[in-house]
Amino acid sequence: MDAHAIPRRNRLVAFVLDDHRYVLLGTSVVACLGMLLSSSPRPWFSFMYYAYPVEVVMYYLLFAWVCVSVAALISKAMLRERYAQASPFTRPPVKSALRCTSYLMWAITAVLIVDRVVMGLASAWAVATSVQSRPEDALQSILYMLWHGRDMFITGIMTTIELAVLGTVIAFFLALLLVFCRIQTIDRPDNDLVRFLKVVGAWFAKVYSTVIRGTPMMVQAGIIYYGVIGILRGSGMGTTEINALWSAFTAGLVTISINSTAYMMEVLRGGIESVDIGQTEAARSLGLSQWQAMRKVVFPQGIKFAIPGLSNELVINIKDSSVLSVIGTFDLMFATNTVAGIYWQQLQANMIAAVAYLILTMVATWLLNKLSRRLGGRGAGVTGMSDSTVNAEAATAAADQMGA
Amino acid sequence: MTDTLNEPMVRIEGLRKSFGSHEVLRNIDLTVMPGQVVTIIGASGSGKSTLLRCINLLETPDAGHVWFHGKDLAAEHVDVNRLRESIGMVFQGFNLFNNMNVLDNCTLAPVTLKKMNKQEAERTALAHLESVGMGEFAHAHVSTLSGGQKQRVAIARALCMNPDLMLFDEPTSALDPEIVGEVLEVMRALAREGMTMVVVTHEMAFAKSVSDEVVFMDEGIIAEKGSPQKIFTAPEHARTREFLARYLDD
Repeated sequence: MDAHAIPRRNRLVAFVLDDHRYVLLGTSVVACLGMLLSSSPRPWFSFMYYAYPVEVVMYYLLFAWVCVSVAALISKAMLRERYAQASPFTRPPVKSALRCTSYLMWAITAVLIVDRVVMGLASAWAVATSVQSRPEDALQSILYMLWHGRDMFITGIMTTIELAVLGTVIAFFLALLLVFCRIQTIDRPDNDLVRFLKVVGAWFAKVYSTVIRGTPMMVQAGIIYYGVIGILRGSGMGTTEINALWSAFTAGLVTISINSTAYMMEVLRGGIESVDIGQTEAARSLGLSQWQAMRKVVFPQGIKFAIPGLSNELVINIKDSSVLSVIGTFDLMFATNTVAGIYWQQLQANMIAAVAYLILTMVATWLLNKLSRRLGGRGAGVTGMSDSTVNAEAATAAADQMGA
Repeated sequence: MTDTLNEPMVRIEGLRKSFGSHEVLRNIDLTVMPGQVVTIIGASGSGKSTLLRCINLLETPDAGHVWFHGKDLAAEHVDVNRLRESIGMVFQGFNLFNNMNVLDNCTLAPVTLKKMNKQEAERTALAHLESVGMGEFAHAHVSTLSGGQKQRVAIARALCMNPDLMLFDEPTSALDPEIVGEVLEVMRALAREGMTMVVVTHEMAFAKSVSDEVVFMDEGIIAEKGSPQKIFTAPEHARTREFLARYLDD
């Protein structure tokens, strides 16, 4: 993180504080956004309502900036190659003046964003939480559903977090067991019983992985949930006893653990197999057994390779636990469907769910990145962004130098 | 080990090994007496490394026998782990454990297998590290060492198990020419101390000056073996002459 933070901050500082040739274009985009906001309807809480003349001035300042930019564009189109030498827009004092003026444009747009967007959300929230029936306006309607379904959404989000975290942790330990079965090979000192167990173990792990990864989790959830209910009923239990023992949450947790185990096993196997074979050979040549070499030498190295994949599994489980709603596990998806059913607003309810899932996965990714850095592995890089813009920036800077 | 001074330490008979349809070793016979230094030379792909790796069963022979101290390694269910404790091996690629520092590399096997306590194992390890000139790097991480340093640590690591036999699989082939010498010097000292050694190498000068016997391998068979004087000054086989001519040109 630290390795990237310093150059990135420098680039940002340079973009703001240095003269560069994108100031007209970049700020024009911002100015157009400001003009658009200014011409959009005023929300209830708008404070610019009390300073209408000021907003008119702000609007025409933005408009003036766009006009200047258009003039620069025309100048560029007419002068072409001679633009850098002949155009007034490339003179150093003019460039500095433009940069300073651009700060004003950014400030005006920022004020307008607060006035229209932030205050707009606040107004919609105030309306949504005070009215008696669902408003027609889309934003107000979504906030109304969020507010009135808040208990369900909170329960759903907590259940989703529990399922994902517990499921991933349980699956990790099961995957450890299973991967050790999976990678067993016959070794010369083994007696016949050990050889038999190793073959059976490796086959079990292989079949498990194929079956679990080859079927949808939704189907697995149905088989596990109703299968166990059938078994319990067969043993003579009543419905209330069954519900107490085998809830939809328990079934969901079992499903997600079993499912994730198969994927995590493959991730661990990949990590272990990417450790150089020479490490095993060196350990074996000293007399360590297969198990000792694995435990002391290969596995500690392999798990480091596996950390990004293992972290990814938590993020996947946050999202994939949504399919457990089919068996009635009260997770975020189930809450969403319930709220959608009450108000008959499927699209809006699902948009709430999308935002909630996105926040959950982004927080999880951020936490896992911090954790994996502490463990000394590579970053998780699950929903991470590309850091490869450095060269483009450097090229821009170089081009700027030549132009000036 | 003293009671068997007249017994061969390693006896190989009729050893065969194929990888798929490619026959790498074809009927190899070889004996190594205690205290002897045997160097195996030959072109790449002639089966030198495979032969060496059959001695500690990193490769399983297809046919034939390998006796170490009179025990047949090729028999089923033989406790190779126990036997490997007395056969040290040094690899071309060093293969130091990347998840440990230098000292832990050396103490892992003694602590795990000989049930030595940590202090005692560290004392022994430090003595061996001193003897290869790596004492001051005991707490360094493996990734900070140069190739020559890594290989010297690898030798010390093998010595910590107090082996009867040391196998060297092209120990200097992955090193820069200027640091080959520091590793060869350690091996020379080891040979002087009377360690039994089987060395696969391309360092002809080393083979000539240190070995008691030189084995020339060609296409999976031992084409010629004998004293270094005989092999390097009066080779019988045309292939040996051809091979040596190429090396002695340099």
